[in-house]
Amino acid sequence: MATPEQGIDWAGDTGQVSRLRGVAFEVTCLAAVAFALVSVLVLLLYVSADALRPFSADPGWHLVFFLTLVVPSVSAALFYYRRDEPAGEVAYATTGLPVVGVLGAAVFAVVLDIELVTAVEMFALLVSALVAAGIIAAHARYRPRAAAERMAVLFGAPVVTILGVPPAEVTMALNAALSALGLSIEFGVRLLSLREVILLTPVVPLQWIMVALSLTVPVGAVLGGYVARVRANPRAGLAFVGGAVAVSALAPLVGPVVGIGATGWILLVTFCLLPVAVYVEGVIRRREGIAGLTFPLILVGGVVLGALLADLFGFAPPDPWLDWSFLTSAHSRTPAEAGFYPPIVGSVMMLIVIALSTFPVGVGAAIYLEEYAPDSGLAGKFITLVEINIGNLAGVPSVVYGLLGLALFIRVLTMPTGAVMVGGLAIGILILPIVIISAQEAIRAVPDSHREAAYGMGATRWQTTRSVVLPQAIPGILTGTILAVGRAIGETAPLLMIGAASSVRLAPSGFFDQLPAMPRQIFAWSTNLEPEIRHGVLAAGVVTLLVVLLIMNGTAILIRNKYQREV
Amino acid sequence: MTNENMNTAASTETQPSATADPTSEPLVEQSISVDNTSDRTTVDGETVIRSKDLDVFYGETQALQSVSLEIPENQVTAMIGPSGCGKSTFLRCINRMNDLIDVARIDGELTFDGKNVYDEDVDPVALRRRIGMVFQHPNPFPKSIYDNVAYGLRIQNRDVDMDAVVEESLKKAALWDEVKDRLDESALDLSGGQQQRLCIARAIAVDPQVVLMDEPASALDPIATSKIEDLIEDLAEEYTVVIVTHNMQQAARISDTTAVFLTGGELVEFDDTDKIFEDPESQRVEDYITGKFG
Amino acid sequence: MSTDTTADAITSRPAGREARERLYRYLLFACAATSIFVTVGIVFLLAKDAIDFFTLVSPVEFFTGTTWLLPRNEFGVLPLLTGTLLVTVIAAAIALPVGVAAAVYLSEYASERARSVLKPALEILAGIPTVVYGIFALVYVTPFLRFFGLPLNTFNVLSASVMVGIMIIPMISSLSEDAMSAVPDSLREAAYGVGATKYEVSTGVVIPAAVSGIFSSFILALSRAIGETMIVAVAMGSRSRLFDFANPLQNLWQGNQPMTAAMIQINSADNVSGPGFKSMFAIGLTLFVITFLMNLVSNRIAARYREEYN
Repeated sequence: MATPEQGIDWAGDTGQVSRLRGVAFEVTCLAAVAFALVSVLVLLLYVSADALRPFSADPGWHLVFFLTLVVPSVSAALFYYRRDEPAGEVAYATTGLPVVGVLGAAVFAVVLDIELVTAVEMFALLVSALVAAGIIAAHARYRPRAAAERMAVLFGAPVVTILGVPPAEVTMALNAALSALGLSIEFGVRLLSLREVILLTPVVPLQWIMVALSLTVPVGAVLGGYVARVRANPRAGLAFVGGAVAVSALAPLVGPVVGIGATGWILLVTFCLLPVAVYVEGVIRRREGIAGLTFPLILVGGVVLGALLADLFGFAPPDPWLDWSFLTSAHSRTPAEAGFYPPIVGSVMMLIVIALSTFPVGVGAAIYLEEYAPDSGLAGKFITLVEINIGNLAGVPSVVYGLLGLALFIRVLTMPTGAVMVGGLAIGILILPIVIISAQEAIRAVPDSHREAAYGMGATRWQTTRSVVLPQAIPGILTGTILAVGRAIGETAPLLMIGAASSVRLAPSGFFDQLPAMPRQIFAWSTNLEPEIRHGVLAAGVVTLLVVLLIMNGTAILIRNKYQREV
Repeated sequence: MTNENMNTAASTETQPSATADPTSEPLVEQSISVDNTSDRTTVDGETVIRSKDLDVFYGETQALQSVSLEIPENQVTAMIGPSGCGKSTFLRCINRMNDLIDVARIDGELTFDGKNVYDEDVDPVALRRRIGMVFQHPNPFPKSIYDNVAYGLRIQNRDVDMDAVVEESLKKAALWDEVKDRLDESALDLSGGQQQRLCIARAIAVDPQVVLMDEPASALDPIATSKIEDLIEDLAEEYTVVIVTHNMQQAARISDTTAVFLTGGELVEFDDTDKIFEDPESQRVEDYITGKFG
Repeated sequence: MSTDTTADAITSRPAGREARERLYRYLLFACAATSIFVTVGIVFLLAKDAIDFFTLVSPVEFFTGTTWLLPRNEFGVLPLLTGTLLVTVIAAAIALPVGVAAAVYLSEYASERARSVLKPALEILAGIPTVVYGIFALVYVTPFLRFFGLPLNTFNVLSASVMVGIMIIPMISSLSEDAMSAVPDSLREAAYGVGATKYEVSTGVVIPAAVSGIFSSFILALSRAIGETMIVAVAMGSRSRLFDFANPLQNLWQGNQPMTAAMIQINSADNVSGPGFKSMFAIGLTLFVITFLMNLVSNRIAARYREEYN
């Protein structure tokens, strides 16, 4: 008779040693993951503690907020995780969307503040762009077959309405060239564009009205159109637009009361309220995860209640380094007064340069490589070479790109040292390969059968690309681009190479001004040995940068998840 | 003729891939083809598409060998044969979809209404606007049902009453009653059979002369298949239909004329469907049809 | 329909459409060609000044000199090279085992749900700017290691290298995990079928099958470590030292200066001109060539394993 001790060796009794070894191996592997995550997490906690100084507050303050904010939000999160996964996603989105919206509003507020673009210019540009689009659309409608003519209209209409004939820059360059040749002839005769006519109009309404007209109305109209379409009800769209206008009209009343001014209110409505409204509308319409909508309310309610209670009991709040004045003032030698405003503005302006320079080129290159490039013969070999080259460029150290920027833009093209434009272009070249590769992946993910269907209908290559491939690839392209731009914001070495100044006290107001950038300022602070800088101002700068990155990456991942679910 | 055998032959075939995997068989059989191949290349009816000594190569491999046949107008012409025999390749030659494959090389002549489509001056884009195509797997765009049908009209900038054409095309594709209330919904929400009929509607919306179908029912269940088959017979009243299938019963049911391709990309026999299935000239075709070979 | 009209129809090429198609093709091609211009630009612009430099300082002196002292115009690149090598070796000693073990866990042991949390978390780590890692090393890691009695200077090699290692872990783990996930399940099943344990399958089947992918991730990560600039610029100081064989540990406690940090220093110094300024391009070119070649090798290896399993 077989006893377990003797006979049944297949049940694993003899495998003690090998089982132990297996467990030890699994634990080692898990420990490796834990090491990678936890070591950085601990460092992040340290730097956040330095920046926010939570222990400078009364314990009672912590207790109050623990009870009003942490307990409710954590229990809500746990509930979503266990019971209602769609709600968790809705909670994530409805919390994140306003944050992203506020960030967008802040960017625009800064743009208006430094007068990079004024409200009137924005309005004039919008109106003339709309007129140009109208002309193009009308031409397409009434002369659908005149393709050559349409090319002319496509390029001509914007010139007439936006640039003027000839464009002011061309006239200026011509006059400059003439005076350089010693001729005193000036070409003053030109046909003003619609935009310039509007700008010449002496009557300028209040700023908030201009912003509302040029931002809120178009955004509201587009979103309203979307609502009308998904609800199959034009009235819902009209109601949406009406609501948007009504809320905007409250600006002169509410704005000053809340403390952000009428223009601030308009920006908040445009970037935050309207998108959130559309998202919430979608959640309610789909009846999926409605419970998640309570999450932001829990957060806001917790904060308000906590603040009231702490005030009531007289608990002192913490005194963080990272506070409002840090975000809105310039660098100072006194640590307590040092701020991060110019670097934030500089980074945002650099981001604009990076996005505008890499996105079109990167996506264009990806389209060419995936949709147009031959894959056999001599040309095919050349294309393979290009692709290998792009892969390798993605791994070239950033400091080399900085050197390229220095040599090309500053020494050859003689742009000013350390200008916003130079920094943006140098880092733009750095992330270009990453943008190309991720866009290629997104385009490759579009099934071939859709391309074949389009070609089989007699679509040309461009028509197939534009109407079939790009609409499906665009979420993936956006995700990749946002991640790449996120990387770009933190790049420091190229900035040092192009000679970005260590501390700039004035926010740039043009693209050829001196570039203050977040990572550059952080590096400058890191060379300072004062403990108040090292464990205070520096930490606050690091946390600000990381929060911006976290928001960007979170947005990218949100887009990707939504897109993956749909495919 | 035993139906059981035919079924087995058809169902065990693997699907030829979109890049038309070239024949894996060595090309030794080509010498014997001359004797027992019917030299008939025409059937009754006005010819729309005529191929003469058409050779196709994918790189070094020959996918079609000297194919000559004439496809009659407003009839259903079926191309049958085992996997990799070149039937899909031939179909893709007609509207020059093979142009999209870099390594494909075409010799010989293929005329559409008397014009060689491989002439220098022929624009494949314009050609494909005259010769529509329906693919093996339903491939509607991830757009609304309406936008799918209207796609061809939009890219061609057709100055027509869009709503009317969409409705008419969906009616011709026997889909209108099922979708008329939800034209704005995504085409991907339709069933496989409905999607394929939508693809047919999309192809005929631009009013082509010829509709090419590459195994249009092979990915569908029997009920959806029979709907597609009924539809194809109706379409032949207005369009010339060329259909590739590996289902011989299907070819026998719906086609007027049949071309049999065998391994190596050679056209073995081309004749009225009844003749092919009842009294084929070639012994090899008879073997194939009765399931002895293939 | 008569023959003529069909022939006309299928040969009609509306001039506007043709022009538009050609325009878009050329525009898109120009976009793709920029990558070539960038490479050529880097090589050309760097080489131009590097050649200038080598007319002032002989290559022999540059590649064999043992002192790097700008103020005294001594341009021996060896101390910078050993500095780079030192950082890379220490970083690799940390990152390679940890990265591969993490990849094994993610690919073989983690549940679907755990993976869906851990992978994005690692991805976010990879997105932290390197200047932040440098500050971590300087402000937190060095005092932490000192607390354990290590005789570290304020600027030292050890904590900077550890941080470089931690920085490249996500890269190794994610690329190696891709390689391991590409190993077909049939191989795993075959091993389980003859009674192998999960440990035996992981170490005996999956890792060997994915070895070329893992290797390619190593090379890529090492090239990243070689090119890493901000961590070393922030936390390692700015004094170049040749590796001291007599006192190996001392090398870790002191500061040092790898190639990348030297470039930063040259550029931020105010009145460096002549050979000093040009030496930056010589170092940059050396760095570019090294990393470009490493990426090339890595991509070739990776392409081969992808062919094997796809």
